[in-house]
Amino acid sequence: MNGQTSRRSEVMRSASEGRHAWAGLWVTVLLAILGFLVIYPILMLLLGALTDTSPVVEGISLSHLSVTNFLTVLANPNVAEALANTLIACGGGTLIAVAIGLLFSWIVVRTNTPFKGFIAAASILPLFAPPLVAGVAWAILGSPKTGLINTMFKWIGLDWRVDFYSMWGLVFVFGIYYAPYVYMFTASALRNMDPSLEEAAEISGASAFATLFTVTFPLIMPAIVSGMLLSFIVMLGIYGIPAVLGAPTNLAVLTTYIFKLTNWSPPLYNTAAAVAIILMVVTGLLVFLQQKVLSGRSYTTVAGKAFRPRSLDLGRWRWFTFGLGIVYLLVVVVLPSLALIVAAFRKFMFIRDVSSLFDARQYSLMHFYSIFDNPLTMRSIYNAVEVGLITAVVGGALAFAIGYTIHRTQVTGRRWIDVISTLPVAIPGLVVGVAYLWAWIGVPGGLYGTIWILALAFIARFMPDTVKSLSTSFLQIHRELEEAAWVCGKGMFGTIRTIVLPLARPGVIASMTLLFVLAIRELGSSLFLYTSNTMVMSVLLLDYYEGGNLGKTAAFSLVQTVLLGVLIGGANWLSRGAAQGSVARTG
Amino acid sequence: MTGRIFTNIAAIAGIAGLALTWSAAAQAQEFGSPELIAAAKAEGKLVFYTANFAEVEQQVIKAFNKRFPEIKVEMVRAPGGQLITRVKTEAAAGKLIADVVDHSDRALMQPMADMFQDYAPPNAADYNPEAQIAPQLWPRATLVWSIAYNTELVKNPPKTWKDLTKPEYDKLTGQVIAPSGGTTWTRVMFERQVLGEDYWAKQAATHPVLYPSGAPMSDSLVRGEIAMGPLLYNAIYPKQKDGAPIQIFFPPEGAPVNPYASGIPKTAAHPTLQNCF
Repeated sequence: MNGQTSRRSEVMRSASEGRHAWAGLWVTVLLAILGFLVIYPILMLLLGALTDTSPVVEGISLSHLSVTNFLTVLANPNVAEALANTLIACGGGTLIAVAIGLLFSWIVVRTNTPFKGFIAAASILPLFAPPLVAGVAWAILGSPKTGLINTMFKWIGLDWRVDFYSMWGLVFVFGIYYAPYVYMFTASALRNMDPSLEEAAEISGASAFATLFTVTFPLIMPAIVSGMLLSFIVMLGIYGIPAVLGAPTNLAVLTTYIFKLTNWSPPLYNTAAAVAIILMVVTGLLVFLQQKVLSGRSYTTVAGKAFRPRSLDLGRWRWFTFGLGIVYLLVVVVLPSLALIVAAFRKFMFIRDVSSLFDARQYSLMHFYSIFDNPLTMRSIYNAVEVGLITAVVGGALAFAIGYTIHRTQVTGRRWIDVISTLPVAIPGLVVGVAYLWAWIGVPGGLYGTIWILALAFIARFMPDTVKSLSTSFLQIHRELEEAAWVCGKGMFGTIRTIVLPLARPGVIASMTLLFVLAIRELGSSLFLYTSNTMVMSVLLLDYYEGGNLGKTAAFSLVQTVLLGVLIGGANWLSRGAAQGSVARTG
Repeated sequence: MTGRIFTNIAAIAGIAGLALTWSAAAQAQEFGSPELIAAAKAEGKLVFYTANFAEVEQQVIKAFNKRFPEIKVEMVRAPGGQLITRVKTEAAAGKLIADVVDHSDRALMQPMADMFQDYAPPNAADYNPEAQIAPQLWPRATLVWSIAYNTELVKNPPKTWKDLTKPEYDKLTGQVIAPSGGTTWTRVMFERQVLGEDYWAKQAATHPVLYPSGAPMSDSLVRGEIAMGPLLYNAIYPKQKDGAPIQIFFPPEGAPVNPYASGIPKTAAHPTLQNCF
């Protein structure tokens, strides 16, 4: 009997040792992948910042290691100015983003404003506009000399002038385009909030607005802060908008300054790498702050009992809030689209007055003919879609593996996986392109020159976004369901296949769609990795812009926007179908 | 000595109309022996790295394809700094894809001359030897600076380089920054050597709008964001030809000229083809 017990415990121990060995192997594989995708390029970047040579051209040598680059960069007044501009532009932009995002999340979740679904859709639309396109559209609208807004003011007889080639313009455009980040966080927090505290405030005699500011907003403060930090971080890394709006008045931010350094003849990559490290440090601090906030109190408002979020009856004011939604839609979607349409169909963008704006003779399909006459256009579309699909599928699968390991297992080393997979958030795409080029050009097997080097760069770069968005769908699936499967004798992979994957499918498809959109939009890291065969849309768009043809740029922007719209619509339809499918299965 | 080259080539460029692309001029003559052309057709593809304006090069490729429709030319167009990084990094890793490298900054190309094959174009005798920096590198294109203005905005146009610094043009001019590439370094040195040590300061006093490269500046000129400024002739001429309200002239003090440095890398995968290109 005694012998039986010891044999059983021995069997169990060896089974658990076997599982340990597998878990160890699994963690090692994940860490190896992350090492290749994240750590190795970052080390190359650091090396670049600390030397005055290129790690590929001159070979990796530690003999030149010095902090001279850093010191030169720190002492350079242009860098200080760019850093100050960056903080002001992103800070101001974040304030506007918080105001807009919070307002609309409240309107959509907590009021009886008509056509709420429509306002909800409008609130996240700007996410799909590539920054360069947004910048170009607002340059056409808001240029002090030739902007359409000023032309309109003049026509109406108003003595008003707007100038978007300024810090104010930059702050405004940042604010309206990155409000969706705040919206996404605060809307879900408001939706998940138990309204009993608000009811208590009102019973105690507080007005609706007093309740809003003393109870509701303080309760969702973690969501506000994390939305705020995320939008700030994203703005820090944006190149397209400040490139277009800041360049005419020589208003530099860190990203445009880095781009300048890499673009100059001779290029100053090592200095650029050093500036990038500054950007990484700023971003890293903010990410750390965000993690701190998120790990604190964010879920405390979600209690175990069932509730429905209350909807405030605004009375006649509901048409006012509806009007706000319309104005937002007008500003972020309608006006820029009109500007792009005018520029795309107009032969020359010299617009003397309003009558010239409506002069039909000035319009033609010339720019569309000319972009489709260029064989690169079709190829770049094809390549972009291919890279997007590879990134979405491979990146989605990897993010699933990482997310599952972090949130659903107890394996040792999962904290490391979490930290390393979050690191790329802090690296601006523009610089990471050079790091990837340095890191991967020498990889045997001919990675360079293929679509895969682009896809790998995007997978690495957007890993934090994908893992985070997938994690929410893991958090929603209760462990009980998995435990039930284990009890029924399913193995780990069987459980994932039959329980977790079907339930998380809407989330997985949503994350893959996000990854697809981000990959198609991504410009910075593509710049150094594409070759004549693997040109992608975002690079070609920059080419058209830098080639100085606003008409072609606008025409190609429209093509890209329409294509993204169709693809996102399709994916949305697919994921809705999938969601219904999974509901049907669980029901 | 430079002054004479400036004006001579400017004159030729003026006649040629487009960017002075020597291979296009040579197209009238024969490209080479029938065997060479047959070998080139068998290769089928050419990868072309250039720092020149994409629109201009597309016209050249189109013209080339009229003659050789079966040969595909793949162009990678990048600003000078990016292009040189790409070439150096690719070459160091043994993965240089280009069959032809065409760069505006001769100072950056000269130290790399050993990377390129010994090559002489069929019309080698037509080249000004002063425009060549190494036996392997040929000035495939030569770009010339001109002054352009928007005729809708400027009623009293400038006539010389010196005019551009007049106080009446305050905040109306545009300028491409010097580190943009080989062409701008050439113009900036011309300003200093020919127009005087104080020309830069005078220019700064008129608050020019700064541009990272010539192409966006030419577009801004058409749109009326700026009214005038120095531009490479081939950056602005296509817009004038399309009907934009633009006038272009070569000022009497001279026109800075920048010959390119172009060569065939030793590693080129389609070596016969670029002999024709």
